Amino acid sequence: MPAVVARKVFDDYRVLSDEALRPHEPRVEKFLQAMRKSLQQKENWTFWLPYTLSLDTCMKCGTCAEVCPVYQATGRKEIYHPVYRTDMLRKIYKRYFTLPGKLFPWLVGAEDLTEEKLNALAENVYRCTICRRCSYVCPVAIDNGVIVREARKIFDAIGIAPDELKKKGTRLQLQAGNATGMPAAAFLDMVEFLEDEIEETRGYRIKIPVDKEGAEFLLMHNAGDYLAFAETVMGAAEVMHAAGVDWTLNSPNTGINDAVNYGVFYSDVEFSAVIKAHVETARKLGIKKLVVGECGHAFEALKYLILRLIPPEERPFEVISILELEDQWIREGRIKVDPQKNPEPVTFHDSCKLGRLGGMFEEPRRILKACCPDFREMTPNREMSLCCGGGSGFAIMEKGGFLKFRMETYGRLKAEQLKATGAKVVACACSNCKAQFREIINYHKLPMRYAGVSELLANALVR
Amino acid sequence: MDFGHYLIAGVMPYVAVAFFVLGLGYKIVYWFKAPMHLHWELFPYPHTMAEQLKEMITEVFTLHSLYRFNRKHWLPSLMMHWGFYLLVGWLVVLLLGFSFAAYVGTTGGVLVLAGSFSLFLLRLLDAEVRKISAPVEYINLIFVFLLASSGLFSGFLGDIQLVRSYFLSLLTFKPDASIAADYLTPLLLFELFLIYIPFTRMAHFAAKFFTYHKIKWGELH
Ligand code: SF4
Ligand code: SF4
Repeated sequence: MPAVVARKVFDDYRVLSDEALRPHEPRVEKFLQAMRKSLQQKENWTFWLPYTLSLDTCMKCGTCAEVCPVYQATGRKEIYHPVYRTDMLRKIYKRYFTLPGKLFPWLVGAEDLTEEKLNALAENVYRCTICRRCSYVCPVAIDNGVIVREARKIFDAIGIAPDELKKKGTRLQLQAGNATGMPAAAFLDMVEFLEDEIEETRGYRIKIPVDKEGAEFLLMHNAGDYLAFAETVMGAAEVMHAAGVDWTLNSPNTGINDAVNYGVFYSDVEFSAVIKAHVETARKLGIKKLVVGECGHAFEALKYLILRLIPPEERPFEVISILELEDQWIREGRIKVDPQKNPEPVTFHDSCKLGRLGGMFEEPRRILKACCPDFREMTPNREMSLCCGGGSGFAIMEKGGFLKFRMETYGRLKAEQLKATGAKVVACACSNCKAQFREIINYHKLPMRYAGVSELLANALVR
Repeated sequence: MDFGHYLIAGVMPYVAVAFFVLGLGYKIVYWFKAPMHLHWELFPYPHTMAEQLKEMITEVFTLHSLYRFNRKHWLPSLMMHWGFYLLVGWLVVLLLGFSFAAYVGTTGGVLVLAGSFSLFLLRLLDAEVRKISAPVEYINLIFVFLLASSGLFSGFLGDIQLVRSYFLSLLTFKPDASIAADYLTPLLLFELFLIYIPFTRMAHFAAKFFTYHKIKWGELH
């Protein structure tokens, strides 16, 4: 059966199916109610200040647009201007929640909300990865990203969210332990398979501990990695083994075994449900340090977003990124590497969540420079790194022509950047970035491959 | 002296300052008392008080975000901002009784005039900025433009002897409305401007403290 093409509501793509968007139902009233809540300090303390300051103080200077990958890649198309997008919500805010907007709507650019405008807004908040590159350069530090995220939250509160993030995302994760829906038995088989794989490629067998209580390190990956980026999982296991530390993975038998938290992308309710489940799992296992695998948003969630949400005494463990450990162990000489084992030219992509939002700039670079003799920087990089287009859930969204959007916007800019380095390998430390790079390399026919940082490190290990 | 004159020169100055201080104060306290949101900082950020001060001062006086990423807005904005800084400086040196206050005031006025005019043109002629602008954006710039022109062309900014004694009379709560007779228009505009600021985005000089210190920048080390 040919796929039914959903009606156009904003541009040529449809992230939200009619089933999710329900365009035939009246939703304006509900939206306004949810929005009223979002503007109340008590109801929305988690983001109230950044959100309302950003709504109120934009100077309309357009600096954000100069650095927005979507706007630039689409040839400066008006509908993808960061402020065009946030103004869609700002106009509603002014019309219904500010006095000047109620009295003189035309003067301040306030507009009534209609069902059509609601549809368009719902789609447009899924054309921005909340990469916050624009926020970094805004003279007033206004955050278009937080407005987009708040709008996604309002939509979720009235039942409008992409299936990939909710039904097959946070909901599935809370119920099955991971967002891939992999049951414990399959997970254990998978781990055994990975042990076999390592033996086959390296010629020695290592034991990958699972569900070990009281271990020093609980390593939690993005569960999608077991299926899509197993090299990263194996690499990390080899590094752990080589370092000779007391570590473990965990299976759904002990709770959540997936570092992802899609709530970061669209809902504080879902976000806190998932992170609480993470904490509970770590406590139950009695581990000392929770190591976040190569997953950007999981790191942001567990390292930073968690801090003011869950009191320190309720989370008696440290959170670190696997990159921090690997970097530390190389510098301490705890693990030895021979860079000649990775002779190809390698470049590194700063995932927004690890870099601009996580401050993890130098660790991956030190690791890569130790493991790869020909390391090349992409330009721009670090805090000005261009989002690859996999962020905020995009990496797992392709319905409604969306893969094309990802490839023709962010993907095109990234492909040009990659080509300019002449590298044969693009290393990154984020699962969503990898999923995007897999497609970029394929779609733009780039003569290179992507690799996890742990994968390259494991390949350079000297035993 | 008619009633309108007395109102503008003798009463409104207090009302305007009260609005400005209370309006802005209310907002600032409200923001200060806002619940602490989840960590949302961007890296790298300045980690010490000194570094933060340095970055803030650089941004305030050079507008380097605009310089780096939006060059065409930079010079006009810089002119307007420096104009305002000089006008604040004018008030201070005027009250302290320095005779060069006239130069400070006039330069400030000219810069605000030129800045607001060029920003207005830019907003009007550049389609991209025009598309994200509401009428109020233009009105604000016209307001600033009128304020600067009336301050300049009435001679208000240069008449330091008279303006000083008038301001001193206000400060000592013995307003001498009669001496300000020639400057009712700039006075009125300035008063309205003060009242207007707390209700608009022009309060961004205060909001910026929060967007930087509490949001974009993480905790001090
Ligand atoms: S978000 Fe910032 S950079 Fe963009 S128009 Fe508003 S003030 Fe300017
Ligand atoms: S957050 Fe990123 S994608 Fe979204 S508007 Fe800003 S720069 Fe563009």
